[in-house]
Amino acid sequence: MSIEETTQTEGGLSRKGLASGKVGLLGAVVIGVSCVAPAYTLTAALGPTVAEVGVQLPAIFLVGFIPMLLVAFGYRELNNSMPDSGTSFTWATRAFGPWVGWMGGWGLIAATIIVLSNLAAVAVDFFYLLISQVLGDPEIADLTLNLPLNIATTLVFIALACYVSYRGMETTKTVQYVLVTFQLIVLAWFAVAAFIHVANGTAFDATRVSAEWFNPFAVGSFSAFAAGVSLSIFIYWGWDVTLTMNEETTNPEKTPGRAGALTVIVIVVIYLTVALATLSYAGVGDGELGTGNPDNQASIFAALAGPVMGPFAILMSMAVLSSSAASLQSTFVSPARTLLAMGHYTALPRGYGRISPQFKSPSVATVAAALAAAGFYVFTRLVSENALWDTITALGLMICFYYGITALACVWYFRAQAFSSVRNLLFKFLAPLLGGVILLVMFFKTAVDSMDPAYGSGSELFGVGMVFILGIGVILLGAVLMLIWARINPAFFRQDVLTKGMAPKQ
Amino acid sequence: MRYIVGYTADGRGHDAVRLAVALARSQDASLDLVLVTPEHSLYAGAYPPARNYDGMLSDQLKEWMEEGLALVPEDVPARGVVVRADSNAEGLITAAGDPDVTLIVIGASSRGLAAPFSVGNVARGLLHAAPVPVALAPKGYSRTDPVTRLTCAVGRRAGAEDVVAVAVSSARRRGLPLRLVSLVPLDAGQSDPDGAEDAANRRLREAASALADQGRVSVETAHGASVEDAIDALEWDEGEILLVGSSRLAQHLRIFLGSTANKILRTLTVPMVVVPRTYSAPGPTSGEGTTAREANA
Repeated sequence: MSIEETTQTEGGLSRKGLASGKVGLLGAVVIGVSCVAPAYTLTAALGPTVAEVGVQLPAIFLVGFIPMLLVAFGYRELNNSMPDSGTSFTWATRAFGPWVGWMGGWGLIAATIIVLSNLAAVAVDFFYLLISQVLGDPEIADLTLNLPLNIATTLVFIALACYVSYRGMETTKTVQYVLVTFQLIVLAWFAVAAFIHVANGTAFDATRVSAEWFNPFAVGSFSAFAAGVSLSIFIYWGWDVTLTMNEETTNPEKTPGRAGALTVIVIVVIYLTVALATLSYAGVGDGELGTGNPDNQASIFAALAGPVMGPFAILMSMAVLSSSAASLQSTFVSPARTLLAMGHYTALPRGYGRISPQFKSPSVATVAAALAAAGFYVFTRLVSENALWDTITALGLMICFYYGITALACVWYFRAQAFSSVRNLLFKFLAPLLGGVILLVMFFKTAVDSMDPAYGSGSELFGVGMVFILGIGVILLGAVLMLIWARINPAFFRQDVLTKGMAPKQ
Repeated sequence: MRYIVGYTADGRGHDAVRLAVALARSQDASLDLVLVTPEHSLYAGAYPPARNYDGMLSDQLKEWMEEGLALVPEDVPARGVVVRADSNAEGLITAAGDPDVTLIVIGASSRGLAAPFSVGNVARGLLHAAPVPVALAPKGYSRTDPVTRLTCAVGRRAGAEDVVAVAVSSARRRGLPLRLVSLVPLDAGQSDPDGAEDAANRRLREAASALADQGRVSVETAHGASVEDAIDALEWDEGEILLVGSSRLAQHLRIFLGSTANKILRTLTVPMVVVPRTYSAPGPTSGEGTTAREANA
């Protein structure tokens, strides 16, 4: 052996191969929009949000962006200072110590697990809808209502996405451009078609657009407002990816900021257009096609695309299916990497830190994420009357939880630098502090409200609201697992591996 | 002269390293242990963004590489190389692009339970596109001593002369006895009334005359109801290596594993080297570059 001959680059290993191509402004916007997955997001979140805030949907969509933006600034600062695949877990550990850090990581993992199961379920709904549209047989679309078949198909989707992610197969640039363009065109088509119906008097429940729809203070109660905001955090979830791109972009100084701004403009325009079109066409009543009808709320496009777009509704099925399937595959990466990082830092059994020698992807962690998503889905489906609705509401709760912790971790970690410049004051202190406080207030308010059995879809278990069981139950489960693990292997909790600290004074 | 070793930190990768050592000894060949790692694209849309996975992966790769280099004995120079590519096969072919690379060594798939060779995806990808010979280590290959004998199996299809020429020059360079095995009776798929078998054997002997003069070449005919039976019936030394040519379906200087070679793999217990079609054969299609990399299998 002659280890001396090992080329001394990159820590003992020589590297060669393709240099990764830089991402330009357009590419960054495409990545941002693909992470938001507007077609999937709207079909999943529009109904539950209308259920909370009614016609003030546009107002909530606009207001909901503010905490997202504030937190994203903090996220960017942490990401630049401590790039780590553990993200929220690592940052919260560094700022607040192992216990809060562990729960922050758990919140992120739980949020992504919940969204995985929801993505798979939405993909399955539109999978059967698409087949029925292709074959012209409406009965096939109802197959998704067959509980055993629905669960089986969803588990197959989850398993496939897990396999693809484990094998390291990724969506390529070209595919992503096509998927994003297709989604935006179909959503615009839906909105235009809905407005044409309204103009022609063929709308289901033509409702006149009013300035009042844009007034967030017109929302009935603070409870409804909090629920609406926590849902709209979900609809912007993914947008902040543009801010975290740096060296990968053609102009690290300007591209991420511009891409973030441009992405949010694209997203807000498409959300508002579709929201206004849907409300004008269908109203908020609980009639057959009304957005207030609980049967429609779980997946608004499944109910409305047919009447609005006629034979072209098949395009909406394709858009939502492709959008949710692509997100399903890419979303596996995140919990897997966080689990891997936690395993690596001994915050979880070492096995979670294992990397597949063949595919160089997290092995145990990816499979664990798939099993958790499958288990979560089966549980929800079996006990909830409207699983999609409840998971989305619980997801909003979970995102508020881990984003809130992350934002406050930013404030605390950078406390020594906060007042050294105006820039630091804004991005490392004020923005994340305000964003984090808003999110945690929304979190606690929604958590308390969701104990009411009538909350969300109205499902309950032992007299407690389903959303509370799913959201708070998952957080408590995490706390229990943390305590058990701390007894088995206290190294991480004694700060042997990651120590609490703070950014040095500048 | 360098050999590219398709290294993974599992049994298959270890088999490949041992075979590469066995082939490199007394050849002054150095080894490049190549770890292929995927190129992560931002366009994959992973969210929430988890940066620095590459850092963690890089630590793991370093650990794996140390483990792999530790398998290589002192007398064989070796280094570790990490290649970024979409697939393992693509990465190995990229690494084999340097002109002084004369061989790619990989392990057979670890999935086949009973058979020593099970062609995995990596092997399949390589066996359809590699520009240099590919050596396949059987599962559980543990020998690192130099090779003791070469066997070259040929049919009567076009291209037989190419692989025999490679085998002859390789045997001469390594100072090894060469056994030429005729698969003609099997190739024809039926009994052989017109004496093609004898003719083929004679051709083999002629082709190997350079070595035959020194009395180190033998010619055998493989018999059996099937290719598998015939390969089973032959005697195999522990330190033996089998050379086969690529299928005639392959493009110039590319490998394509033919159906016979595929069948051979099912029962073979020694390493096999697949030589690309027209590799190092003289003629208008091969330039000077091919002479330089002649027959290092």
